[in-house]
Formats: sequence, C-alpha cells, structure tokens
Amino acid sequence: MLNRVCLTVVLVLAIFAVQAAAPVFEMEIRDHLFDPAELTVPAGKKIKLVVYNRDSTPEEFESYELNREKVIMGASKAVIFIGPLKPGEYPFFGEFNPKTAQGKVIAK
Amino acid sequence: MLLTSVVLVLREVLEAALLFSLLMALSKRLGISWRWVSVALIVGLLGAAIYGFNIDIVSEWFDGVGQEVVNAFLQIVIYALLCLLATFAARYSRGFVVPEALLTMLMGASVALAIVREGAEIMIYLSAFVQLPDQLTSVLAGSAIGAGIGVSVGAVFYYALLNLGRRAAIIIGAVLLTLVAAGMASQAAQLLIQADWLPSQYPVWDSSWLVEEQTVTGQLLYALIGYEATPAPLQLFIYAVAILLIIFIAGIFGRSRGSAEVSHA
Repeated sequence: MLNRVCLTVVLVLAIFAVQAAAPVFEMEIRDHLFDPAELTVPAGKKIKLVVYNRDSTPEEFESYELNREKVIMGASKAVIFIGPLKPGEYPFFGEFNPKTAQGKVIAK
Repeated sequence: MLLTSVVLVLREVLEAALLFSLLMALSKRLGISWRWVSVALIVGLLGAAIYGFNIDIVSEWFDGVGQEVVNAFLQIVIYALLCLLATFAARYSRGFVVPEALLTMLMGASVALAIVREGAEIMIYLSAFVQLPDQLTSVLAGSAIGAGIGVSVGAVFYYALLNLGRRAAIIIGAVLLTLVAAGMASQAAQLLIQADWLPSQYPVWDSSWLVEEQTVTGQLLYALIGYEATPAPLQLFIYAVAILLIIFIAGIFGRSRGSAEVSHA
C-alpha cells in the first residue's frame, strides 16, 4: 500500500519535472525600495523571480499572498519561484524594512 | 525601527517558543529532567549564528535555492525527531523501559534545530545594524521586547498545559505535538515548492477572509498548526500524510511489543 503511494507520488513528480522552464522576471532592491515596485506577470504560469539586492544590508522578501519568504543578503541575488497565480494583485514587502520596501505582483 | 524589530523577532521566536514550552510541559508531565533545556538553547543559538553568518554561501547552493533546501531539510529532521519522540514518550508513559537520555536527546535536538532555523533570520537582521550604532539601540530594544513577548506567550502556553488534568493534558499534548510536527512537514513542502523542487499549483482555498496570516491569530495558528491562508494542494497532502504517519508510528510502536513492563505510570 505504502509502496504504491510512493510510486504514484514519484510518477506525478516526474511528470511535473519535464514541464517547460518558467519565464524569468527580474527585480532590484535599492535603498530599501523594490524596483519595479509593481511587477506584471502572466496569470496561470509558474514564474522564476530573480531579485537583486543592490544594498549592502540584507533584506527578506516576504509575501503572505504569494506564500513566499526568503532572505537576500546584501550585494547578492535570490531566486524565488512563484505562481501559478490567478489574475489579481499580490502584495509583497521587505520584512527588514517594511516601511519603505513595498511592492506587488500583478497577474494578468 | 523599533516596531519593525518587535514584530520580526516576535514572529520568529513564537514558533520555537511554542515548541519549547510544549516539550517542557511534556518533560514535566513525564517527570523527566530539564537538563536538555539549557543545552538546546545554547546549541541552538550557536547553530543559528553559524547558519546566519554563512547564509550567503548556503544561498548559492543548488542554483540559488540552497536556503529553501536547507530549511526544508531542517524542518523534515525536526518532524522525524518529533515522530520518534511521540513514539518513545508513549512507551515511557505506558510504563515500558525507555532510557531517559533518549527522550531528553530527542527533545533537545528538535528544539535546538527549531532555534537554528528561526534564530538565523534574527541574526541576519541584527547583523545589518552593527554598522549603524544610532539605530542599533532601538533595534536591540525592539528585539528584546519581541523576544520577551514570544517567551511570555510560551510561558502562558506552558502553564495552561500543566493546569489541565492528567488525561486532558495527554490528549491535548499529543494532538498539539502531532499538529506542530505536521506543520513542520507542510512548511518543508512549501519551501521545496518555492525552490521548484516540488511542483507548484493553484492554492486549494483562500481562507484569508476568515483568518489573515499576518494577524496575531494567524501567526499563532501558523506557529501551532502550520496555518496557511492559501495552501498548495501538495502542502495539504503532505500535512495529512504527516499527521497519519505520526499517529501510525506512535500508535504501533508506542504500544506493547513484549517488552518488560515496569510500572511507574
């Protein structure tokens, strides 16, 4: 029984693994601000988001709506996969500087 | 700066603090020594510092998703340790011979790993302010307040658990241990989806109209049962499997297997 469940899970994962690569979207953090602060992405697709932190201080990309959380050290970049998203707006913020670092992903 | 650090530190501390107080209450109920508490705290904080200061290296692993993979690994190990703990604690409370050192080791290791995971983020956050002495004071004050609130919530939780009757305490303690453990497994799944190691799909539901994740209730539920307003199907599946697995393992191996019975229950 357990073997069969494992096999099914592995097969399902294998099917998903051969899917096409996700389109890449890029964003910068500079002076504790996201640029662009509004990122328009296609709805219904998995997206590879690359965030470059140009500040010398660390930041944490955080979004409750996207279910994402990731530390991005100063002068480095982070890869975050998001979606597939239904059309709509998905706010995100920098948890270390939430007063200024605000933005949203717009899925169309 | 002050409020930001209160919220940030509280969020991170809460999860480890709830696990900490749950296991301390379990320890007390089973009459096990508390030696593991200080060791877990020290090892956890040291580990958090080491992990935090090397996060830039870890982040580069696996094509830039090293952080997710390492965090998911930590969560899975914590889940496995809690599975073992539930099993051996069940045996111990039923009067079977279980070395006390095994129980204390399982408790200490799971709490230490939870502190590594959550503490690293606090270390990284604080490290940014070491160069900025004018802001450092308010950030440290805020962090202390956040940590204080987190620890207080843990203390309230601890005394609430101890004030229950023996039977209620065992049932509620076992249920909470199972849900906390399953929450760890579900977070591991979420991290692996974020890393694109597991397939991503539309969320099963959106319960943010009911409980928003960023509210106090949402954060408490997140720490306690792994609440997500928009869980992915795979995350829910793994949550359910994690619950069934711990019940199955603790149910089977937590009972008699012909071992010698010693009555100290």
